[in-house]
Amino acid sequence: MFLEVNNISKNFGGLTAVSKFGMAVAEGNIVALIGPNGAGKTTIFNLITGVIRPDSGTVIFDGRVVTGKRPHTIAAGGIGRTFQLTPLFADFTTLENVIASVYLHSRSSFWCSLFNTRAYCRNEAYALDKANEILELVGLSKVKDELAKNLPHGYQKMLGIARALAVQPKLLMLDEPLGGMNADEIAFTMGVMGKMRQEGMTILVIEHNMQILDLCDHVVAINFGQKICDGSVADVTCHPEVIRAYLGE
Amino acid sequence: MLKKRFFAGKGKYTGAAIVALVVILLFLLPPIGISRYYIHILIGVFIYIIMTSSLRLISLSGQISLGHAGFMCAGAYTSAVIAKNFGLAPWLTIPLGALLTFILAFLVAIPFTRLRGLYFTMISLFFGMAVLAINELFQDITGGQSGMVGIPTLFGISKIPYYYFFLALTLVCLFVMHRLEFSRIGLTWKAVAQSHSVASSIGIDEARQRIMCFALGGLFAGLTGAAYAHYYVVLSVTTFSFFTSIYLFIYMMVGGVNSFYGPIVGTAVLLLVQTFARGLREYVPFIFAAVLLLVLYLMPQGLAGLPAQLKSLVQRRGNPPEKEVIGRVP
Repeated sequence: MFLEVNNISKNFGGLTAVSKFGMAVAEGNIVALIGPNGAGKTTIFNLITGVIRPDSGTVIFDGRVVTGKRPHTIAAGGIGRTFQLTPLFADFTTLENVIASVYLHSRSSFWCSLFNTRAYCRNEAYALDKANEILELVGLSKVKDELAKNLPHGYQKMLGIARALAVQPKLLMLDEPLGGMNADEIAFTMGVMGKMRQEGMTILVIEHNMQILDLCDHVVAINFGQKICDGSVADVTCHPEVIRAYLGE
Repeated sequence: MLKKRFFAGKGKYTGAAIVALVVILLFLLPPIGISRYYIHILIGVFIYIIMTSSLRLISLSGQISLGHAGFMCAGAYTSAVIAKNFGLAPWLTIPLGALLTFILAFLVAIPFTRLRGLYFTMISLFFGMAVLAINELFQDITGGQSGMVGIPTLFGISKIPYYYFFLALTLVCLFVMHRLEFSRIGLTWKAVAQSHSVASSIGIDEARQRIMCFALGGLFAGLTGAAYAHYYVVLSVTTFSFFTSIYLFIYMMVGGVNSFYGPIVGTAVLLLVQTFARGLREYVPFIFAAVLLLVLYLMPQGLAGLPAQLKSLVQRRGNPPEKEVIGRVP
């Protein structure tokens, strides 16, 4: 499997956030991670991307164990992610936000950057082109010189995705990309996700808005840090445990 | 927030013209015939401009240091001790002092940068104090409280060569810092300052960037300190006390922390005020504190942000700018 999460657990003090959780994501799929508030979805994201370390269990990405590695190494290894709450660099413009991410794949040495060498200029031009291309894709070109903090909410969410795409990931992890968006923005964002899949991107997405399931190949539902069900969209949405978790008895 | 955008376009040439004019004027000052006293004052201004600017360099990665004078102290004493005790020429010991300070800054940055925000500021403050304590511990070599004398000079008695030396040093240091800030290195530091979690999610080794930023700030401070030692010839620990670090911070804030030119303007203005208000020497801390509070309250972008602030004020008086509607995602 492309991404394999095996039996990971995480306790915060006495609180069990994630317990013996396992899931797998196949290459080229869009997989949704759903569950009620506080179920541990974001914690799982943080465990996969190395923000926090699991107490036990392993994460295998693209054939390599990534558990215990630091977030920037995991990002460089090909996982791009968005955040639910602080999606971007607030004091950068839209363009700068994306450029900072593109830099990951057009490295320049310290001395080249300092002395503005030809190789550095070429890298800079590449980063600018690439960033513009990504902004075009997500429809943010017209606000590229606005400060990120001045953008409307939907734009900020979109910029978060653009930023994650700019690290040219093999796996894109989106934490509630549709949260707080209006109907037009939801349709547009889902359109972008569909386009990404056509280009061969694998996407793991946390979402409360069930419209997302139209796009998904596979759904994992969790509650209280434990997986309650795993399967196709039809299987999961009819599963009695899932209905109980969302609607109660 | 960031005054100068990464890809600056408008107003680039006006700014360059002003900078060129100031530099030419500074080069012409000694031949025009300003007094020895003012040459001495200006050399002090140059020295503290590098110090304040390097303090701001560290702040780019979101780290406010209150121990910056400690690095100046380390550079000054290292260079002075080597030159005095081993008889090496100052033009050799100055780079050596800078290098050793860089290594010191790098080593202390490794544990320090594990702390963020206020906690980092606190430990940097203690570092500044620790440097002075260590200085006293080795008072056989450093002279301790009574100071260090007999340091070889760089150019002898005349002040004119020092003036040009420090002017050139300041310009070179500022040029390097400008390159650092407006290259991708600076962009990375600013990214780390805004959000370490987002920065690491795009593959930035956040700890490494903060260590590098802090160590480079230390390098500039060490270099300045080392050059300082061979101009003033007498070293005293009070020069590098906690108050110096605080003053550097005040210069930076008054000038404007968000602008590259902020520390330069702030240092120049406040040091010249200090010179003209010599009679009020014991009130200087009070005056500075009042100025700092007023600036923070009335112009949060500092002196360097004043033109933009006045411009927007005038515009608001005349005709309120129309709120631009961005609209929705297509």
